[in-house]
Formats: sequence, C-alpha cells, structure tokens
Amino acid sequence: MRFASKLSFLFFAILFSPASFAQSLDTEPVVGLRDIRPNAFALTGATVIRQPGEVVENATILIDEQHIIAVGSDIQIPAGFKRLSCDGKYIYAGFIDAWSEQAVDYPKSIAGYWNKNIAPERSVSDFVDRAADEEKLRKQGFAVRLVAPQGGIIKGSSDLYLLGGSQRSHQLLDHTNWQHAQLTVPRSGPGERYPNSPMGATALLRQAFYDARWYADSLNMQRSGANVSEPEYNASLNVLSRHMHEQGFIFDASNERMALRAEQIAREFSLRIALRGSGREYRDIEALAQIDRPFLIPVNFPDAPNVKNAQSRESVTLRDLLHWDLAPTNPAALQNASVRFCLTTDGLEDVASFWDQVRHAIQCGLNPDTALASLTTVPAELFGMTNQVGTIEKGKLANLAIFDRAFVEEDSRVEECWVAGVRYRVQGNPSIPEETKWRGEWAVGLPNSTKSTSTRIRFEGEGYQISGVMIFEDLSSKSGSKGSASKNKNKKSSKTKELELKSLKVERDRITASLDLSELDAQFPSGISLIPVVQAFLADTDQPEPNPPVLNLQLPDGTQQTIRLKQTSEGATIASKAPSSESADETEEDVAKDASTEETDFIATQTPILRPLGAYGLSEPPAKHQSVVFRNVNLWTCGESGLLQSTDLLIQNGLILAIGENLQVPENAIEFDLKGKHITPGIIDCHSHMGTDGGVNESGQVVTSEVRIGDFIDNTDINIYRQLAGGVTIANILHGSANPIGGQNQVVKLRWGASMEAMKMQEAPSGIKFALGENVKRNPSRYPNTRMGVEQILRDQLLAAREYDADWRRWRAGERDGLPPRVDLQLQALSEVQRGERWIHCHSYRQDEIVATLDVLEEFGIRIGTLQHILEGYKVADRIRQHGAMASAFSDWWAYKFEVFDAIPYNGAIMHNEGVVVSFNSDDRELARHLNTEAAKATKYGEIPEQEALKFVTLNPAKQLRIDHLVGSLEVGKQADLVVWSGRPLSTLSRCEQTWIDGVKYFDIQQDKAVRDRDHRLRSTLIQKAMKSEPAGREISTVVQEEDRWVRKDIYCATHGGLRHETLSQGAQK
Amino acid sequence: MRKLNHVKASFMKVSQMNKDYLVRLVLIVHIVCLSSTHARSHDQIPGRPQTRPIAILGATVHRIDAPKIDSGVVLFDEGKIVAVGNQVKIPANATTIQAKGKHVYPGLIDSLSDLGLREIRAVEETDDRTEYGRENPNARAWVAVNPDSELIPVARAGGVLVAMTAPLGYWMRGQSAVIQLDGWTGGEMLLRAPAGLFVNWSAVHPSSSDDGRRRQEREKKLREFDQLLDEARIYAQRTNQVPDLTPTNVRLESLIPLLNREMPLIAEADLQSEIESAVTYAASQKLDLIIYGGYDAERCAELLKLHKVPVIIGSTYRLPLRRDDPYDHAYTLPSRLQQAGVQYSIGGPGFGGPGGSASARNLPYHAAIASAFGLSEEQAIRAITLSAAEVLKLEKRIGSITPGKDATLIIADGNILETESNVLDAYIQGRKVDLGSRHKMLNEKYLKKYSKR
Repeated sequence: MRFASKLSFLFFAILFSPASFAQSLDTEPVVGLRDIRPNAFALTGATVIRQPGEVVENATILIDEQHIIAVGSDIQIPAGFKRLSCDGKYIYAGFIDAWSEQAVDYPKSIAGYWNKNIAPERSVSDFVDRAADEEKLRKQGFAVRLVAPQGGIIKGSSDLYLLGGSQRSHQLLDHTNWQHAQLTVPRSGPGERYPNSPMGATALLRQAFYDARWYADSLNMQRSGANVSEPEYNASLNVLSRHMHEQGFIFDASNERMALRAEQIAREFSLRIALRGSGREYRDIEALAQIDRPFLIPVNFPDAPNVKNAQSRESVTLRDLLHWDLAPTNPAALQNASVRFCLTTDGLEDVASFWDQVRHAIQCGLNPDTALASLTTVPAELFGMTNQVGTIEKGKLANLAIFDRAFVEEDSRVEECWVAGVRYRVQGNPSIPEETKWRGEWAVGLPNSTKSTSTRIRFEGEGYQISGVMIFEDLSSKSGSKGSASKNKNKKSSKTKELELKSLKVERDRITASLDLSELDAQFPSGISLIPVVQAFLADTDQPEPNPPVLNLQLPDGTQQTIRLKQTSEGATIASKAPSSESADETEEDVAKDASTEETDFIATQTPILRPLGAYGLSEPPAKHQSVVFRNVNLWTCGESGLLQSTDLLIQNGLILAIGENLQVPENAIEFDLKGKHITPGIIDCHSHMGTDGGVNESGQVVTSEVRIGDFIDNTDINIYRQLAGGVTIANILHGSANPIGGQNQVVKLRWGASMEAMKMQEAPSGIKFALGENVKRNPSRYPNTRMGVEQILRDQLLAAREYDADWRRWRAGERDGLPPRVDLQLQALSEVQRGERWIHCHSYRQDEIVATLDVLEEFGIRIGTLQHILEGYKVADRIRQHGAMASAFSDWWAYKFEVFDAIPYNGAIMHNEGVVVSFNSDDRELARHLNTEAAKATKYGEIPEQEALKFVTLNPAKQLRIDHLVGSLEVGKQADLVVWSGRPLSTLSRCEQTWIDGVKYFDIQQDKAVRDRDHRLRSTLIQKAMKSEPAGREISTVVQEEDRWVRKDIYCATHGGLRHETLSQGAQK
Repeated sequence: MRKLNHVKASFMKVSQMNKDYLVRLVLIVHIVCLSSTHARSHDQIPGRPQTRPIAILGATVHRIDAPKIDSGVVLFDEGKIVAVGNQVKIPANATTIQAKGKHVYPGLIDSLSDLGLREIRAVEETDDRTEYGRENPNARAWVAVNPDSELIPVARAGGVLVAMTAPLGYWMRGQSAVIQLDGWTGGEMLLRAPAGLFVNWSAVHPSSSDDGRRRQEREKKLREFDQLLDEARIYAQRTNQVPDLTPTNVRLESLIPLLNREMPLIAEADLQSEIESAVTYAASQKLDLIIYGGYDAERCAELLKLHKVPVIIGSTYRLPLRRDDPYDHAYTLPSRLQQAGVQYSIGGPGFGGPGGSASARNLPYHAAIASAFGLSEEQAIRAITLSAAEVLKLEKRIGSITPGKDATLIIADGNILETESNVLDAYIQGRKVDLGSRHKMLNEKYLKKYSKR
C-alpha cells in the first residue's frame, strides 16, 4: 500500500506541471469549516479527439484539480482518482465561443478622446457578471467564451472567460490581445451627435488612428530630449497608440462589403485584424480569401422566408431566398477558400440549436475536423491561449465536451461539459447513464407470495421518459423451474399477467408509481399501492451502486414493506420501447429532416452564387472581347465629327480604335450589324446618390470633409442595373446636402457585378460636396442659420486649411519648434481643394449664394468644379462664366422648396448660350434612367440643337468631372462607354438596347429577358422548397433585411410624398 | 417654310404680350419682397368666352375616337366642336388658323394630381392637400383650388388642360374634383365635383412581415370602414324620414353620394393584395371604384374586368416596387393592361416626388415611355385623353376631337409624345388660353439681361 501510494505520488509529480493558468485568488475568508475536496478523475474507455484529426480509441484522461495530467490509451489510473467510465463516448476539447458582447459604460473622464465613441480604454472585465446564458453554452460543450465590449466605434478590449470553473460563475481566463471596432454607428452609443452615418464612423475611426500615431510620435519626440512640451495626457490615445503596435483589432463585418472596408483600414494603418463575420462571406469568397484574415463566423442560418400567403410570397426577394438556401454553405465556402475561421454562437436566437446548425453546415460540405478546429484550436491560437485551451493535452485546462456519439452524427448530444476540471452534466437532456439506471427487469419478492410465484418489475424507455410494468407469473404448475427470464418467456402466454404502472414519475434517484396489486393475483391486497423504487446512484459517476435498488411498498392499508430488487436482466439486453406517440413524432421528424437534407444538397449544388446575390446578378463575369465592331450605325459622336450616318465603330481592349465606313477589323473581332440603330456615348450622371451603403449624409457636423462616399459604395444596389438599362455608364456619387462642407464624392462606372473597388473610376480626380441655402441652414440648434453664416463657414474653413497647410510646410522644411502637426482629415481635404487637387461640387440654388460662394473661392484662388442644381444660374450666367464654373442642373424641376420657386426649364439653355458648360443630372434613382429625354428638354425649352443637347448628358458632365479626355464622346482613343438605342437617342419613343462600358457589354435588352426567366425559375424552385421546409404555421419572416444590418439614419433623406417609389428610400438630395 | 412662318408669327404674338409682362414686372417683384410665403397671383389672364367660330386648317387632327386626319379641319363655335374632317364648310365669320404641319389633339387630361391645392411642397403654408386626422371624406378639394397657382399655367403650357385634383392624407383623404386649367375662380374651372372619394387603400394593408398581425390590422381597418358606411346609410334613412330629429353630421352626409353611386371610390392601391381587397370591398358594399396606382393591376386583370373597375396608372416613370421586378415594370404596365383588356388611363407624376404636379406638364412623356415599351402611339395618346375622360366619366364632353364635345384642344408643333414638341395654342371650351407662365416670364426677363450686352 505504501509503495503504491508512493508510486502514485511519483506519478503525480511527473505528470503534474504547474498551471500556467492564473489560479483564482480566493482571498475571501472562509466562514465556518473549510471544505476543500479532492478533484481527481480518470475518464476511461472513451474515444478521445485530442485535437482535430488526432483520435485515440479507448483512451483514459486523467484530471487533477483544474488540469489534464495525462491522456492516452494505456494509462494506469493512480489511486485517489475517481474512475468514470466513458465507454462509447466521444470526448472533445471544451469548445471556445469566440463571440459574445457585454454592455460596458463609456469612460467619463475628460482625459479621454473628445468623441466617446472612441473608447479603447474600456475593458469588459469590470462589467462581466454572471451571464444567464452560461449554462446554455455549456450544454453545447462550450467551456470558454470571448466577451467583447458592446457599443462605440473603437470599443475596447475583450477577455476570455471560463464558463464556470470555480465557485465563481464567470472566471477570467485572460485578457485577449484584441481591441474591438466597427465601421458604423453603434446602436446604443454614448450619445454623441457625430457621427450619425457609417461613413462618418469610418472617418472618425481613421482620424483616431492618426491621432494615436501623432500622440505616440509626440511622446517619443519629447522623451528623446527635444525641447518641446509633452502632449496633453489622453487616456484613449495612450491606450490606442500602444494597441496599434501590440494588439490586433477585431472589426465587425456585418456583410462581405464591411469586411473589405475593414481590410482597407487595416492596410492604411498596418493593423493586424480579424473580422467578426456575418455568414454572408460566401457571396464574395475570393476577395475575402485574398485578404487572408481570420473570421469569427456565426451559424445563425436564416429560417425559410415566409411564403405562406400570397402577399408575403410576393414581397420575398430572390436575394433572401438565395441567402436562405446558401447560408449553410458559408462555413464550407470559407474552408474551401482556406480562410481561417472560428464558428460562434453570434446571433443565434436559440443557442440550443448550435449543433444542429453546425451539422447542417457539415452536410453542406464543412469538414468535421475543420468544424472542430474552428471551435478549439483556431480560437485558442487566435486569442493566444494555446498553452491552456484548445486541445486535450497534458498540462492544459481540463475543458472537455463529452458527446454520446461523434458530433457529426444526427442527434448526437453533449452529455457533459467540463470546465477547468469542474464537471457539468447536461440537465434535462437525457443521457445514457440515466437510462442504465433504470432500464431492465428486477425481481420483486412480494410479501405474501408463495414460492411458486415470481413477480418482476420491468422499466422501459429512456431518460425521464420511462414506463414500467409489473409482471406476475404463476409458477405453481411448473415443477422444478428456476424461474429464469428466458424460460419464463415461453410460458407468458398462459401464465403471465402484466400490469402497467400508473402515475409513474422519475426523479434523479427514484421512481414512484402506483398499481392495484390485486389485479395481478387475488392473494395480494386490493386497492392502490404505491411502489416508490429508490436507487442510490453514485453522485459523481452516475454508476449504480453495487447495492440493488430498494422498493418501499406502501400497501393500501398503509403498511410499508421494504423489498430489495434483484436484477434479472441487463437494461441493454432489453429492447427499449419508447412511448408510442413520441416515437411516431420522432420518426416523422427524422423522415422530414432526411428529405430536406437531400433536397438541400441537391439545391445547394445547383443554386448559383449570383454576383451580386439576388435577381439580375451575374453567374459569370460579362464577356470581354479583345475586339468588337459595330457596323452601319448612326453614330452620335458628341465630338467634332458630329453625327455620322451609317458608319462603323471598332473597339479594341476597351478603347475606341477606329471610326469610319467599312472598317477593316481584326479576324477575331466580334461583329454587330446594327443597321438603323443609334449609338451615343454612355450617359454620365453628374449628380447621383445611388449605389451608396448606409445613407449619403453625415449630418452630425457642419463640416464633414473627412467623410468619404468612396468608403461606402454598394456594388449590389439594384439601381445600378436599372440605370444601366437607361444607358448610364458613369455616375458622380455625391455626399448629401446636409452641411455647408460635406463629404468627398466618388465617381463610379456602372460595372454591374464588379467589386466595390472596381466600380470606382480610378482616373477621375477627387472631389467634395459643398452645399448652400435652405438645407444647410434649417437646423435651428446649430450654426449656420442664414446664408450669411454659410458664407462665413466657408471662409473660416478655408482659412483654417490654409494655416494647416502652412504648419505642415514648416514641419516638412525641418522646423522643429514644437510638437509635430497633427494629421487632420477634415482640413487635409480642404487643403487639397486649395491646391487644386480636389474639385468642389457645390449644391446651390439662389443667385446671391452662388455669387457669394464664387467670391469666397476667388479670395482663395480656388476654381470651383461644378455648381450643382444651380437653378438660378440663369440669373448670373455671366458671373458663372467669368469664374470659369460649370453648371450641372435639373432640366425642369421646381417648386419643391421656396428657393426653387424661380427655377425655370430655360435655365440650362440660357447658361449654355452664355458660354457655360451645362449638364443635366438626375439626383434621383428614377430620373437617372431616362436622362436622354431630359437632354431633349434643352431643345424643347431653349432650342438647343439636339446634338448639342445630347452633350448635356455625355460630354459636358465628363468635362465637369474632368474626365472628358477619357470619356464623354466617341472618338478614337477614348474609353468605349456607349449606348445602343432603338431610335433617335433623345426621343421618348426610343429604348436603350445595350450599354457598354470599357468595351464590355453590361446591359442587353435581350439578355435581360433571359435573366428574368432564369430568376423566375430560381425563385419558384426556392419558394417551393421554403414552403416544404419551413416550420408548420410559421407566418413571421425572420429574415433581417440586408439594409437593416447596420444603423442607417438620414434625416435629410425622407421619402418622396405620395406614390411609393420604393420600399427603401435613399431619396434625392435636392 | 410655312412652319417657320407660323413659329415666327406666334413668337411675335408672344413678344407683344411681353410688353404687358414688363409693365407688371415691377409690381410682381414688390409682392415677392413683401409677402414671401403667400401664394401670388400669376400673370396669365383667363380666356374670354368664344364669340366667333374658329376653324383650324391644315393640321393633322388626332381625333382619338377615330383615325387621325392628315391636313384636316376642326371647326368649333360657342365652346363646342362643330365639325371635323377634310371637307368642312367654314362660316364666313369664322376666325381661321393656318396650321399646316401642326398637330391638333384634345386637351391632355391628367387623371390625378394635386394641381391648385399646393404651391411649394416644402413650405407648409402653401400646401392645402392634407387635412388633419384620418377620416376626411367630407374634405372637398374644389373649395381650396387656388386659380392663381403658378403651377397651373405651367401645366397648361405643356398641353394639360384638364386635371383631376385630389386631396392627400394617410387614410380617407377627401373628395376630388375635375378642373379645367383656366378660369378666374375655382368655380369657373370646375368640370365635375365631386369626382370621387380618394382613399389610400395601402393603409389597409400594413407592410408587416407578420402575417397574423397583418390579417388583424387589415380586418380592423375594414371594420372601421364598414361601420362608417353603415352609419352613413342609417343617417341617410333617418334624414329622409325624420330630418328634424336627426343631428347633422357632415362626415356621414359626405358619404351618401358614394353610397348612391353618384361618385366612385378612388382607391390608391399598388400591390396585388391591396387591389384585390379594394375591388372585393367595393363590390361587397356596392360602390363604384377606380384604382389609382395599379402597379400590380395586370395580375388582378380578371377581377378588375369582372367588376368593371378602371385603373388610373399612377405614373410610368416609376421605379420597380420590388427588387426583383423588371426595370421596365412600370413602362410596360399600360401595354400589359391593354392586352389584358382592363380599362385604364395613364396618370402623370401625380402628387409623388420629386416635382409632383409641378411636373404635370410632363404627362405626355408618361404616355410616350409606354409607347416605347409596347403601346402604339395612338393608344398612348388615348391613354392621356379619351381614356382619362372615360375613367372620369367625362367622355361625353372631352377627350376627343368629336363634334358635340367641348372645344378643349391643343395645337402642337409636333408629335406631342416627343419632348421637343411644344404647344402653340390651346382652347378650353373654345376660350383661347394664355400659354404664358412664370417660367416663360422669367426666361424673357433674363434674356433681356444678356441681350443688352
């Protein structure tokens, strides 16, 4: 004995290595007796998956206190270890849920960043409390979870917590190396007025990073002995500047576009990032694979869209149907693209469905080992905790998830979850140990019975669903019988009586039931007897005690007799017969599941991932031909050649190579004979707000020149396609008109199906939106409230930018008489304006404000890019020309605001005749679809010849955007952006038949019909599938609309009154 | 050459009138300064009643109810069309208009607008479209039509001579009227009142994603309507039988013409379910019905035909309502209704954005795009003339160049569906209409500024 104990001690010493995990310091004094109990277990006989791909059969795991001290197939179990048989079980390393959020207060100190949305100093550890869902997570096998601070734009740092572990419910495992951030406005923010748009949030984030850099540089400069004052202490920048170097940032990426935007920021500041994904990554998987960042991925695959009635069915979009069908393939798509990811419970309405969802993903191609890794080794690595969690290894925390079967198997269940050596058995989720407790037949030595009878109780069923019968056998006719179970069976028919136990209730340690014994045999007392059967189970192991169960027979007369039961047959050998109703349900469900699984696979292989996802998306990129020739067309060149009747146009590599009759073309040229058709340059819309993501106004401040429309291009906006169908090839996407100095605009080419970046027309120079008049002065709670104030804002900001420029010039020239100047994105944009590197597009109506603005700009030597709207331009056309400004107007809008009461449709013609370059724009997603007929209004109202009028929507806007050397007319060397019209291009009776950009066809009226058919078929198939698979009676659509995935608020974008123009409004900015 | 001469001639007329403009300009500017939010009276003078027969000679006459006549004659007298054809005897005292190369059309009819009820959308004080509360069946559009609205001459100059003007609101908006766009007073302009009770039927169908709740709310709304109609019926009976003992109620009173089918219900409804429920509701309450909007009307074609419900297409320059719908859904709607045999007219921009009835002058282009996408040009023009008159039950008076009808017509210098065409002359009930407008006035004014240099 002594020897053995010594040995085991030695064994211990060898096995046990000191915990790297910070033991909880229990400083709380004990009240009463101390109660420390040994915590040493040997889990035997299980299939242990030590880490993905490494399986040990019939293995033993030794656990001492919080840690695993040995794992293997031939491990001797030392004394002092409780042996827990895990025969047939599958043991995985306890899972890590890589996402949860916790509300955290915003810092109140004035020593923080000026905008409380930047709160890197926040830490969840001060706020984490017992979480209600902790047990739910354990039931899914999770032992650890990430808790991140909620709200804010730079949100603070996260921690990893054990889900249990010690007496304390939530035990800090460690701080992670991660800050959390988002590129949008928090839903529950610190109450800041700015920002109120995603692009504003992004600008603020960018500025904060610049400020943190500056803070660090300044400190370094001061510390290196330079004779400068220390920068004022700032807690936020202090933390942020350290984190930028030492830590990573996890960005919320509520769809694939947000992920790509976060990547832009990461590159801009050389950050290490991970992305909290959305489940929509499959939509742009190549791009996301390329950025090579880890993802935290939810498995909250959507329910089938509501297609129960006609109205709901009509309103469901193909995009939602496709997403519903494709979402479960998302993890597999990530895996196949070699993206590293964690699966999380993020967004799961019911955490209990976690494994069903994961198994669904596995059915859709997710490798089980990848799934396991995504819950163990990948998060352990990501959060720098590989020395403690993620695998079943000696020295690691004893975090285990014990399944009854391999987790890939349908309906496999988590039976136990171990968290740092503490065992949690799954309650209410019946498991086999409970079955083995009761299942089987037991001999009951009933009182008063003669030797020639045998009475037995048989329990059947699983877990808490148990039924029982009392079996009575008259053996008197059979001499010499031993009464064994097998022999008894033969006599059942004539001699055996079975009586069902009534009111049967199962508790963890007892079964109670009632019966009338006299129904078995007249020798027993009549009346209801209670037969509570009590069994002592070993508390820790669920194994029955060697002692047999005890039946306390309470007879009708009130007397009690205690009877020992003797097992006559093993539970396992008796075919269990579950209650009939339940089993029927299960079977049906199983069948249904199987059917839907099959169909899922069938559809999933067929369902195309359209770019962008939804109706009119492309299944493959548009065909690119090296050479294309259009024959016999009426060519409206908008150049010096004017209108060429029946000529040829040759395109090569996206550019116009030749124009003329009977052109010789390369052999491989694709030929289109378009006799009778007309071709014009692609239409350019000089004022548009379509294709934006999350509103076009950052109205939180009066000056928002730091904000960039280019950060939030929505390449999936269906209006891109609709406008292509109206011949638009280029649009100037402008910030709204909420503030005198608005955000930076973005010129895009309508390359439907391309990426956000590929939509941008890179050659177009930068620009910025200014706005005057009623829109910017209407907010009574801020400056300005008058046109006088607007003018002063412009002057003041341009002066500030001039000083900013001077500071930087001095610094670059080597002057070091103070701290380095700070990068100020707001002033930087304005100094670019002053240097002629950024063009102003100024929303303007009234003549006085037009003149005042031109005066101010001239004071600073700035030439304006365009005057937008400019509806009173006709009153000061001479002044406009004198400045050299160009004018982009509505053709005939008026009377929607007081400042446009003097707007007249002759405006464009008057300005044109006075020598101003004039364009007509849309500022409206609908109007943009027929700008050709808008151009005709210059003819109608001002007798502008039609070729000249056409330039109002082609060459002139190209000039205004400073891209007329590339586009705007059909001349040799220019980009092949063009439109094929069925008739005269300015005619209301003509149709746009084809739209080409860079020599690639993006719209074709014939192809459009084919696409409609395709979408119709796809839609019908998916709706049928949704009807079959949705839960019965479901009438509520749970689909989160694409547009609702982040906060969008734009008070300046109210719907147009009256007729609904579309469900979602990103209305015009008049 | 003749065309050119005519243009010159009419231009000369215009320039003569401009002298009058100039005289009044000073006055106008003063009014602007003094009361910036008050609606101002415009400068156009309502036409005088026709005193002599007028004959338009040589024009292409778009009769609408019959094939067009090239180089035809239209003769009208005392406000009515007397004769149309190639051979028309012209009275000796007739004024003749040489219109070779020109086109004569019936005055265009905007089937639904808010003309006269609003001036500047963003200036509340100038907007009389929406009465307080949700149940305003008694609100009567024609009592608030401002005959001096600057929007009226602008629409008229585009050839729109008749419009139904209707109030707005969340649910029961009020009674509309058909007005002619010329007259000293609202009363003079009136062609038919009431023209219908305008109700926003989409309010019956909340866009909830919860089918159960949607069913409930729909039922609730319909019951409100049931109750109102029941009470109106009882009110009508009581006021007949015991007038002295029945307390008056203007809301209930206003519904009696609806119940008597003296005016239709005009239900704004776009989606199939909305249209279906409006049609079945009107049928169950035995009401006449016009659908306004009608985005999904083709899908309800059989029902609409069964109950003889006409549709005013709520503009064709309209985005698809659902993401998956074809880009040209609204463009092709008229031709699809035509094929399905549903009675329809094409409305202009209505009260929708961006311009609403400030853009009523673009009505012909709403028809034109329908022609580019399926209708014949004749059908397209009919949809904004005779078809509109039929929907508004005014086909006996307007909508075609037919002897006996009102001489409400326009002379254009080209195909009215084409943007570049302009209206040269217009007559409403034989009265020659002033085609000047605020826009033309400001144009002339500032042309003077630049011509001086």
